[in-house]
Amino acid sequence: MARAQLPFLKLDDPKIRTLHFAWFAFFLTFVLWFNHAPLMVYIREDLALDDQQVKALLTLNVAFTIPARILVGILVDRFGPRNVFTGLLVISSFLCFGFALATNFEWLALTRGALGFVGAGFVIGIRLVSEWFPAKQVGLAQGIYGGWGNFGSAAAAMALPAIAMMVGGENGWRLAIAATGGLSLVYAFFFHRSVRNTPKGSTYFKPKKTGGLEVTSRSDFAFYIAMNVPMYAALGVLAWKLSPSNLGLLSDAATHLVIVGLVILFGFQVSQITKVNREMLKCGVPELYRYKFKQVAVLDVAYFITFGAELAMVSILPLFFLETFEEFDPIQAGLLASAFAFTNLVARPVGGWLSDRTHRRTSLSCLLAGIAIGYALLGQIEGSWPIALALFVLAICSISGQAGSGAVFAMVPLVQRRMTGQIAGMAGAYGNVGGVVFLTILSFVDYSTFFLVIAGCAAVVLLAVQLMDEPEGHIAEIREDGTVELIEVA
Amino acid sequence: MNETIHIDGSLRIDAGQATSSGEKPANEDCMGLRLPEGIALTMKGVAAVIADGVSSAEAGREASESCVQSFLNDYYSTPESWSVRNSAQAVLIALNRWLYSRGHGMVEAHKGYVSTLSALILKSHTAHLFHVGDTRIHRIRDNALEQLTRDHVTQISEKDTYLSRAVGMDVRLEVDYRALELQAGDIFLLTTDGVHDFVDASTLVQRIAHGSDLEAICQDLIGIAQAAGSIDNLTCQLVRVQALPPEDANAVHRRLTQLPFPPPLEPGMKVDGHLIEKEIHASNRSQLYLVTDTESKRRLVMKTPSVNFEDDPAYIERFVMEPWIGRRVANRHVVEIVESERRQSFLYYLMEYVDGPTLRQWIDEHRQPEIVEVLAIVDQLAAGLQAFHRKETLHQDLKPENIVFDCGGVLKIVDFGSCQIAGIQEIAAPIERDHVLGTARYSAPEVRIAESAGIRSEIFSFGTLVYEMLTHELPYGEKIENANSQAAFERLKYVPSHHRNPMVPVWMDGALRTAVSIPWRRRYRELSELLYDLRHPNATFLRTSPRPLIERDPLRFWKGLALLLCAAWLTTLWFWLTP
Repeated sequence: MARAQLPFLKLDDPKIRTLHFAWFAFFLTFVLWFNHAPLMVYIREDLALDDQQVKALLTLNVAFTIPARILVGILVDRFGPRNVFTGLLVISSFLCFGFALATNFEWLALTRGALGFVGAGFVIGIRLVSEWFPAKQVGLAQGIYGGWGNFGSAAAAMALPAIAMMVGGENGWRLAIAATGGLSLVYAFFFHRSVRNTPKGSTYFKPKKTGGLEVTSRSDFAFYIAMNVPMYAALGVLAWKLSPSNLGLLSDAATHLVIVGLVILFGFQVSQITKVNREMLKCGVPELYRYKFKQVAVLDVAYFITFGAELAMVSILPLFFLETFEEFDPIQAGLLASAFAFTNLVARPVGGWLSDRTHRRTSLSCLLAGIAIGYALLGQIEGSWPIALALFVLAICSISGQAGSGAVFAMVPLVQRRMTGQIAGMAGAYGNVGGVVFLTILSFVDYSTFFLVIAGCAAVVLLAVQLMDEPEGHIAEIREDGTVELIEVA
Repeated sequence: MNETIHIDGSLRIDAGQATSSGEKPANEDCMGLRLPEGIALTMKGVAAVIADGVSSAEAGREASESCVQSFLNDYYSTPESWSVRNSAQAVLIALNRWLYSRGHGMVEAHKGYVSTLSALILKSHTAHLFHVGDTRIHRIRDNALEQLTRDHVTQISEKDTYLSRAVGMDVRLEVDYRALELQAGDIFLLTTDGVHDFVDASTLVQRIAHGSDLEAICQDLIGIAQAAGSIDNLTCQLVRVQALPPEDANAVHRRLTQLPFPPPLEPGMKVDGHLIEKEIHASNRSQLYLVTDTESKRRLVMKTPSVNFEDDPAYIERFVMEPWIGRRVANRHVVEIVESERRQSFLYYLMEYVDGPTLRQWIDEHRQPEIVEVLAIVDQLAAGLQAFHRKETLHQDLKPENIVFDCGGVLKIVDFGSCQIAGIQEIAAPIERDHVLGTARYSAPEVRIAESAGIRSEIFSFGTLVYEMLTHELPYGEKIENANSQAAFERLKYVPSHHRNPMVPVWMDGALRTAVSIPWRRRYRELSELLYDLRHPNATFLRTSPRPLIERDPLRFWKGLALLLCAAWLTTLWFWLTP
């Protein structure tokens, strides 16, 4: 593998400029997406929310991201990344203002649910970056985009409680949240002015089939459809959670409406998938282009754990610290929680690097084992633990989780190059499903059981990863005198 | 580089033919078959030609012979990139002119070198028919005979007919053309009137169905016709399609992926004896490297495919066709493809290194260009582009970034990555080919919306380029980049170039405006017409009287008219209803 380099500071290079604009836009979407987490303690106090309502808010926040990803994908095809990203930032900034002005739980839930859309921002920037960077650099550029952008939740956790405290009073949290909205509104303007969808003068080709992944055998087709069920099931469970028999946020009729909507959406997606694969179902696929869908499925469930756990942790950590260790104030809790997302800056790229340099399946297995052990330990935490030890355990969880995410995304292009975008999209959606599932589970159990559930899931996925074949390919070797030679790798 | 091609057009065909002078002393019929192999079979196909020298003509024999010989020889000499239709048309025009001129010395032209001609060309999955006169082509499919050609005869009396169209009869020639899809098992029968006037369809079908040796069947048919009283020359040909070219996606993909993609290259690496000096350009589709041939010490440019498309057959097909078309276009104003004798171990190709500035840089540096200077560039650019068009190839991605000057100031068109080659398009391949949408600022509307392109789409890009050289702006402004529907394109407003650069004469702007018209029908048909109008004031562009509204803005005209009518109607209604 050749060393890829990116001159980050060469700001006169339009692609570097685009990268910086893109990651910051993504960074802002993450700030907006998780601006409620570190302020939850104030919101809970201010609006007198009970425990279940808090957890419902956290879950709603990640739930709508699942369907939003599909919608955003379609919009990007139609209007291009520049317009969609701008639109997303503008709309979410207003949703933020709406959230900041809320006076009851229903209003909070509505705006939080709608803000779930902002979590789909990832897809847009990935498209932008892959248009701008040549193959050699695109992996690194996407790593920077993803890693630095994800850091947004850490930034929110660090800065927002402080802002709320500075303003003071019971309206502190409102101002902090409105400030993030204002920032995103202003930035949207700069983004739109400075970013172009493609490098100047690049040639367009008509995009190939979109709407679903192309699979290469009938059994894989069934497998693929089955793999889509959990996404809707997760939303279905959430709807049930909000129904009158539980939280009562939705009326009976509304719950049924949501369920029917989910079924229709699922039907629509199945029809899209069938459309993309009609040719294959009829005539088959040349053997050179066959691939095993199980590779995709394993990456999906791996990301379900690595990213799903991260989403859940980022949402709950500030509250968890406040509730478990009595000596903290919200600012300190926020700071400690931000440490979890902070490691993203390094851990994610390192995960990718590990996967590239060593055996891919083994490295992913090790990281999953790290997650399982880390969360199992986290489940033992009590208020009497020394803070340093708790942080150490937390670091194991966050670093192995984020490095695991990096390792998963390092493998995505190796399954089928030409479908990298769709495979990445599906894995990403699974990460989201993970977030919804874990947060829903949390609403039934206490923190320590919750961590043990994550650990158990990681152990199961660890087994699943063993079913995956080690990705293979040609490798070119460079001899001493610089001659490039080809070696077949079995 | 060896000349293989990834697509396999090898039809399996067997054929037979026979001719006899019959009762007549001389045989004025002529026939010919060409069953090539390998590339010629894929690119040009199988041809069968039958001709009947007109008996009233004094040199019927010579005429029919010329027809068959020249048609076959010339057809297979046309460029490989040409479509069947274009190739045959060019050959027939030349043939007709030649026969006509030879016969012109005679007192009556149609008594000179005149012949009928029916030609059948089978390429890939299509049968192409070219036909003039009263020879016939039939197809037998599922034991049913169908006559595919229409006789060009005029009935003068009940008995007498008169040939109304034939090669060599007039300086203009109208040829019937048909393209039909092939099926395995199709049999084509070509006959002259000595045969088809005397043998009925059922006999034909029955005889052909019950024989396997096509040569023998042809002899047999001639015998039957003679027995039925034919006194003319008798000729017939049979072509049977045994199997169509395999639509074997595996085979195509294997051929396409024979060479692996090179890894990302760094300065100092060597690929097949080419030392990488530096990366010139990298996009998400390909990389360009400056390399030195370690043997000849020549500096070259190496283009390598992007690993993003490692398993995309449509992309790889495009990539392997780039040097193919580049070698065929070969022109002073098109970048030269360099062949290397060494075996290639990766997928890439080499080009001459042109180190001068791009047209983009030229435009940026010449804020106030001399019109004469621009025209000099335009001529070179047109010469390069016409070289593509002569090979029936559309460049499809003309933009300042793709035009480079060498150290001697000679303009070269680079990048054939978007070319559409007619001769390749008509070979069926089991690949889903991709559509070029071109570059947003320079592509014609129909290319970006309907994905259909022609010479006039190229003229749009060409016109835009010239306009930009003169004014530094685009004819419709930057908005054209975001237009993505017919309506959006029609909303665009053309800004006359002399508004932006007062040195541009009004008539020259008229030519540019015509070249970049949004509806393609209003543009020039050929590049040469535009070139002429750029140098010679065209009076129609100087008309000062404004064009009528219906021409300038049809939508507004009709809207206005409808409004007017509506008002008149309401007024009438009002007067009618008020007592």
